[in-house]
Amino acid sequence: MERNEIAERVSKVIAQVLKMDEGQIAEEHSFAADLGAESVQSVELMAGFEEEFEIEMDEDEALEVQTVSGAIDFIAIQIG
Amino acid sequence: MGAQIGTNGRELIETNEPNLVEDQFDYSLPPKIKFDGPLYEEIDGELVKFDPKEAVQRDLVITDTTFRDGQQARPPYTVEQQVKLYDMLAKLGGPNGVIRQTEFFLYTANDRKALDECRDLGHQYPEITSWIRADKRDFRLVKEAGVKETGMLTSSSDYHIFMKLKKDRRKAFDDYLEVVEAAWEADIRPRCHLEDVTRADIDGFVMPFVCELVRRSEQVAPDMHVKIRLCDTMGFGIPTPGVELPRSIPKLIYRMTHDAGMPPECLEWHGHNDFHKVHANGATAWLYGCNALNSTLFGFGERTGNPPLEGAIIEYIGLKGDLCGIDTHMIQEIADYMTSLGVDIPHNYPFVGRDFNTTRAGIHAGGLRADERIYNIFDTTELFGRPPRVSITDKSGVDGVTLWVNEFLGLKGEEKIGKIKVHKIARWVMDQYEEHGRLSAVTDGELEEQVKEHLPDQYAKR
Repeated sequence: MERNEIAERVSKVIAQVLKMDEGQIAEEHSFAADLGAESVQSVELMAGFEEEFEIEMDEDEALEVQTVSGAIDFIAIQIG
Repeated sequence: MGAQIGTNGRELIETNEPNLVEDQFDYSLPPKIKFDGPLYEEIDGELVKFDPKEAVQRDLVITDTTFRDGQQARPPYTVEQQVKLYDMLAKLGGPNGVIRQTEFFLYTANDRKALDECRDLGHQYPEITSWIRADKRDFRLVKEAGVKETGMLTSSSDYHIFMKLKKDRRKAFDDYLEVVEAAWEADIRPRCHLEDVTRADIDGFVMPFVCELVRRSEQVAPDMHVKIRLCDTMGFGIPTPGVELPRSIPKLIYRMTHDAGMPPECLEWHGHNDFHKVHANGATAWLYGCNALNSTLFGFGERTGNPPLEGAIIEYIGLKGDLCGIDTHMIQEIADYMTSLGVDIPHNYPFVGRDFNTTRAGIHAGGLRADERIYNIFDTTELFGRPPRVSITDKSGVDGVTLWVNEFLGLKGEEKIGKIKVHKIARWVMDQYEEHGRLSAVTDGELEEQVKEHLPDQYAKR
């Protein structure tokens, strides 16, 4: 899967979970500091990514990811 | 091991392995109380050394007054309830008699029936003693009950002597000694309860009286020597060195042991909790020369209560570094039984309250999820049958919910479910507060319903 496609689908999940427009989301954004994700929402984001990409992520590693670009890169590795 | 940067106590010592101070906190037992030096107290201008290591080696015991002082603070127990509690105390204290004695009233038919039925159980410990007023006529009751030792009220402060008993010191002194002599004549060991001793004139009354008791004890067999119960009736005792008599516990006990020659095995501390010092005072008395710490189950006693027996048990294990035959599970069984009788044990009460090892904060729950030792005092699962728990509120976070779910499903180690799998339950919890304005904690029943809905496979397998 191309990185652009991953990025689009990641933005879609973020917009759904954090209840915002996809246009407000940039790759350099931090989930917590810039997008306002609270503790539960951080976990919901990871659950959303797992569902969207039909993958199972290592929880500790996944929750280390702090930014949109980090999530895209992490998922790219997961789906090979 | 990592590089050692410095050893002068001011520089960081890096290490690859955490120092969990396990010689004190080995987790399988209540934390050990270890001493690395003596205790000092200045008495009459001299520095007096007390050796806590020697104190720990003495035959320290716990005595119980649940059925006497404990009953003064509540409606009376039935005979059946007293027998049940006595039986459980025997199991708790174990075959070494860590709970050495318990005392009963003798004034009603029910008091005497309870005593008889407890004795019929055949336990060696706790030994059964009684409590009477300082009245010679009461020895008939003691004798008829077949009790070998009795406590008797020998009030020691002028508050009691002058204002309650309406006597002067000489009259009180003589009357008390007359009752002690009567006990010996009846072949009963007397235990003088120096009521209100932490408000008494120590040199003017207490010391002359105790010295006379020691002198007269020399004329009877050693197992009949007078015992002294130091009664901190109003909780005025202070455990720290440097305090004046009569409130100083170290000085008071030193006067007994050193000046009056009263041996530690004949000394007992009885406290009250009016100033929140009751357990610390009792533990201090052990270290300075009283072998017996008098206590009640869950501290129930007159007004603010007495030293809690279960607190003394945990202190005892901490000092001795060993269970010494104590069955710690009985603490929970007794608490359950007392609760079934309608006794109200506060939720945050140490060792037995509903929430004593329950955490609410998510950050604490995260610690518990990583390793329960971080936020649990010792292995409460093994010693009490009470694993650490989380109570779920909006402060619990996903960590708290995850911990609750794993505990509920009984999952351990690799089987444990991670946070991502429980996110829908965590969201439901948060919505209760954010969307519905809830103010109370989420109940176990509600969470079980959520587990059934969102983790049906795991729920079915549990």
